Amino acid sequence: MNTSRLAATLSFVRCELRSGVRGFHIFLACLALGVAALAAAGSTAEAFRQGLASQARSILGGDVAASLEGRRFTASEIAAFAKAGATTDTLLVRAMAEGPKGRRLAEVRGVDPTYPLSGHVDLEGDQSLSDTLKAVDDRPGAAVEPELLERLGLRLGDAFVVGDLKLVVRGVLKSEPDKLGRGFSLGPGVMIARTSLERSGLVEADSLFGETVRIRLANGVRPEAVIANLHRRFPDGGFRLRGRKDAAAGLGRLIDQLEFFLSFIGLAALLAGGLGVSSAVSSYLDTRKCSIAVLKALGAAGSMIRDVYLIQIALLASLGIAMGLTIGAASPFVLGWIARNRLPVPVLFALYPAPLIRAGLFGALAAAAFSLLPLARARATPPAALFRDNLAGRVRFGPEVVVLGIAAIGLAALTLVSAPSALVAGVMIAGVLGAFCVLWLIGLVAMMLAGRLRRFTRGAARIGLANLAGPRSAARTATPSIGLGVALLSAVVLIQSSLLAEVRDVAPNTAPSLVMTQIPGERAAAFDAGMLQKMGSLRSDRYRRSPFATGRITGLRGEPVDPKQIDAKGRWAFDQDVTLSTLAAPPPDANLTTGRWWATGYTGPPLILIDQDIARAARLKVGESITLSILGRTLEARIAGTRRVAWGQFGASFPLILNPSALAGANLRDIAIARTKPGQDNPIIAMLGHDFPGVNVVSVREQLQAALKIFDQLAWAVRGASAVAALSGLLVLVGAITASGQARAKESAILKVLGAARWQILAAFMIEYGAVGLIAGLAGILLGATAAYPVTTFIFQARLNMDWGGVAAILAAAAVIAALGGLASALSALAKRPAPVLRTG
Amino acid sequence: MREPPVLDLAGVDLTLPSSAGPVEILRGANLIVAPGETVAVVGPSGSGKSSLISVAAGLERPTAGTVRLFGEDLSKLNEDGRARLRRGRAALVFQSFHLLPNMTAEENVSAPLDIAGRVDAMKTARLWLDKVGLMHRLTHYPHQLSGGEQQRVALARALAVEPALLFADEPTGNLDQATATQIADLMFSLVLETGAAMVLVTHEPALAARASRTVRVDQGRLLAA
Repeated sequence: MNTSRLAATLSFVRCELRSGVRGFHIFLACLALGVAALAAAGSTAEAFRQGLASQARSILGGDVAASLEGRRFTASEIAAFAKAGATTDTLLVRAMAEGPKGRRLAEVRGVDPTYPLSGHVDLEGDQSLSDTLKAVDDRPGAAVEPELLERLGLRLGDAFVVGDLKLVVRGVLKSEPDKLGRGFSLGPGVMIARTSLERSGLVEADSLFGETVRIRLANGVRPEAVIANLHRRFPDGGFRLRGRKDAAAGLGRLIDQLEFFLSFIGLAALLAGGLGVSSAVSSYLDTRKCSIAVLKALGAAGSMIRDVYLIQIALLASLGIAMGLTIGAASPFVLGWIARNRLPVPVLFALYPAPLIRAGLFGALAAAAFSLLPLARARATPPAALFRDNLAGRVRFGPEVVVLGIAAIGLAALTLVSAPSALVAGVMIAGVLGAFCVLWLIGLVAMMLAGRLRRFTRGAARIGLANLAGPRSAARTATPSIGLGVALLSAVVLIQSSLLAEVRDVAPNTAPSLVMTQIPGERAAAFDAGMLQKMGSLRSDRYRRSPFATGRITGLRGEPVDPKQIDAKGRWAFDQDVTLSTLAAPPPDANLTTGRWWATGYTGPPLILIDQDIARAARLKVGESITLSILGRTLEARIAGTRRVAWGQFGASFPLILNPSALAGANLRDIAIARTKPGQDNPIIAMLGHDFPGVNVVSVREQLQAALKIFDQLAWAVRGASAVAALSGLLVLVGAITASGQARAKESAILKVLGAARWQILAAFMIEYGAVGLIAGLAGILLGATAAYPVTTFIFQARLNMDWGGVAAILAAAAVIAALGGLASALSALAKRPAPVLRTG
Repeated sequence: MREPPVLDLAGVDLTLPSSAGPVEILRGANLIVAPGETVAVVGPSGSGKSSLISVAAGLERPTAGTVRLFGEDLSKLNEDGRARLRRGRAALVFQSFHLLPNMTAEENVSAPLDIAGRVDAMKTARLWLDKVGLMHRLTHYPHQLSGGEQQRVALARALAVEPALLFADEPTGNLDQATATQIADLMFSLVLETGAAMVLVTHEPALAARASRTVRVDQGRLLAA
C-alpha cells in the first residue's frame, strides 16, 4: 500500500469512526465474553498450579517421599533414606475409633518427633505437637480432627479407644501440611506418636497399614537424582517414590482437566458469540452500503474499501479482546476474595501472561474468522447498490477467504495444543462444529416449516410465523448460537444429574451398604455366624467374604513398569497399591472377557485374573506375566484371563484376583461386603465393636451422602460456568434484535396502519422470537443429550438419567427469554410514532 | 339527505419538534371529504401534504383542532382505538410502498384482512392480486418485485379490505411515467369500483385533475385550488 493510499484509507477510517460505531455493543460483548471466559479459566488454573508448586514441599512433607503398604521399611532402606537427607517416618492405619457416642473408621497417623519436615501442624490453642502427643500416666495423647470429636462425642481431655489402643484427646487437629498430598481419605484423622502406634498391635505383618518416609534434601540436591538412585539401589523394593513435582499429581491432573473443560466452555462461548460478531459486522456494513457504493462510484478499489472497514473492525476487536482480558485477569482475584477461606488448596493469585496471551490469540482468531466474510462481501459490493438496495456483493475466492481459512485452522490448532489430550480436544472440536452445522440446518428447516405452517394460522400467529420464515428471520443466526449454548448447558446438567442419580439412587441399590475389613482369617466362621444372626440370611447377593490384600504391580513381562508405556486410562493401577483377593472358584459376577478361571484345587505356578481396562492400558495378554509386590514379598504371576469389573457394585470388585495357593502361607485378613436392610447397620456395627473390635467398618451410605454433598456444591459451580456459553447465545439474539430495530419499527408502523392493535403486534413478535428460542432449545437439548450419553455411559460408566425437570427448565428459559427479547423488540418498535418512521423508511 | 362526511378536519394545527426548534407543518387546516368523493391535495415539496394524510389517518396527533374520521373524534381515541377505526374502513398507499419485507405478496395483501379477523383473507388476497395482474407473483417477497409491482401489491392490500376511504400519498412518485399511468388508471378504476372516497397527495397536475376536487397546501394552510 503506497503512502497516499494509506493516508486516504486512514482518512476514511477517521470519518467513519467519527460517525459512531453504533450496533457494535454486541460485537464487543460477544468477543469480550468469550475471551474473558478463556482468560479466567487459564488464569485461575495457573493460580492453582503456581499455588500447588509453591507449596510442593509442604504438600509432600519433604523433597522426596517413599511409601509402601503392608510391610515396614527395612533397616538398610531406612539407612539409605537417612543418608540422602533429614527424614521423618510416619505410619498410617485405618481402624475403628470408639467414643461415648459410637464407633467410626478413622485414619490414625503415627508421627515421629521430627515430623513435620516442612510446614507446621495447626492445632487449636497454643500447645506444641510434641506436648500434645506425649503419654501422660501411660495414656498417649492424640490430636483429633473436629469431625471425629463430634461423631464420637469427645472433648479435650476425654479418653477414647482405637483398636486396643487407649488414647486421650489432647489437641484438636485443624490442619496437617501434607494432607493434600495423601489424597482421598476414608475417615477423619487422628495423630499420635509413632511409638504409641507401633505398640498398639495395629501395625503388624499382613494387616493394612502404610509407612512413609519423607526426606528433606540438602540445598542443591535434585529429588529426581535421589529417586533414581533409590530405584537403582532397591529395584525390588516395591515402594513408591515421589518427588516435589508429584506432590499432588492427581490434583494437578484435575486442575489440567478443569482448565480444559472451562476453556472449552469459553471457546464454545466464543464460537456461539461468533455469529453475533459476524451479524454485527454484517449489519454495520449494511448501514454503510451506500457509502461503499459511493466510494466505488468515485473510483475506490475494492481492497481499499475492505481496508477501511478492516481497520475499524480490528480496532474494535482489540477493544473487545482488551475488555475480555481485563475481566479474565481480574476474575481469579475476585474468586480469591470471595472464597478466600474456603479454598481447599493453596492458590497464588497473580497476573499470569501465558493464559492471557492464549485467550487474546483465541479472541483475535475468532474475530478474524467471523468478520472476514462480511468484509469480503463489502469489498464485492457493486456501485449499482446505490440504486438498488437489494444488491449485495457476492463473495469470491480472495485474500479474505484465505485468511479466514487460516484463522479457522489456527483456532482448531490452538485448541488442540492447549488441551491435555489432543484426542479429546479433537472430538470436542468436531462435536461443536457438527452441532453448529446441525443447528444451522435446523434453523433453515424451522424457517421452511414456519413458511408452511403460517398458511394454517391467522392474525398475530401468521405475522409471527411469516417473520420467522422470511428473509430477515432471526432463526438463521440465533438458532445456532442459542442452540449451542443450550446444548452445552444441557449436556452438563444431564451428566451431572446422571452421576447424582448414580450416587443417590443407583449406588444404594447396587453397591454394598457396609464394607468390613481386617477380618482375621481364623475367626471367619465366627464372623459369618455373627453376620447371619444380624442379617437373617447370607445369600450371595447380600453378603460376601473373601481374602483381601493390597499389592503393587512392579513389573510387566519380566520388565519393570514404565509408566510412560501405560495408557492414561489405566495408569492409576500402576501408580499406587491396588486391592486384590484370592478366590478358588468364580463368583456369580466373574465376568470373564478372555481366558478362563483356574481348576478347582489348582496349586501350580501363580495365576492371576486382571481387570480388562488395566490389561488394555498396559497391552497385556493372556499368558503374559506380571510382577507384584504383596505384603513385602515379590510374586510373578501368569495372566489366566481378563475380567470386566463392575466398580462400586456388589460383587468381586477387585482389579486383581489370584489363585489361593499363590499366597499360601500369608496370613491374609478377609474383607466382607453386606447389603443390609434399613435399621440393620447400627446393630451390626455394635456387634462388631463388641465381638470383633479389630474389624474396620465403612458405611457406604455415609460415604455416598458425603459424595452427594460435594456433588451439590460442584453442580452449581459447573452449571454456572456452562451458562457462559448460553449467555453468549442470548447475546447473539440481543444482537439480532438490535440489528433489526429499525426494520422492526417500520414493520410495526405498517401493521398499525393496517389496523393492528398493540397486542397483535406484541404477540406476533413474541411468537417469532419465542419460536426461535423453543426450536433452538429443543435442538440444543437433543444435541446435549447426544453428547451426554457417551460421556455418562463410557467414561463414567453410569446410566444416562434424563433430568426432565432440568431439561424443561432450560427449554422454558430459552423460549421465555427469547420471547421476552421479542417483547422488548416490539415495545421498542411500538414506542415510535408511525408517521416519522414511515417518512424516513 | 346528505350522508355524513368520512373525514372532517377542522382548524388542524401540526407543529413538530426539530433540532432547529419547533416547525409548524399545518396551520388551521380544514377539509371535509364526502363518501365516494376523490380529493387531490397538491402543493410544493415540504408544504405539509404528507403530514395532512398522517394526521387525517390518525398516524399523527394534531397539535390543535379536530379530526373526525367516520364521525369519530380521533383525539378521544388511543392508538389501539385509532387502529381499530382504520381496520377494514380506511387504507393507505405510500410513495415508498411500505410492504412487509418478511411476507410474500399474497401475505401482504391478506395481512389487513387477517388483522380484521376475516376468515377468507387468503382467498380475497388472491382475488385482489388477480385484479392488479400479479397472480404470477403470489409467493414473491417484496425484494423480488419491481417498484411498479410492489405498488400494485400495496394498492391491492389497501383496497382488498374495501375501505370507505383511501389515503394515497404520492403513489406514483417512485415510478416511471408508463408504470405511473398504469398504477393511476388501476387506482381510479378500483376506487370507482369499490365506491371508496380518496384523499390523493400528488405533484402531478394530470393525476390531480382526475380527482373530483383539488385542494392546495401552501405553507401549512389548505386552500381551494
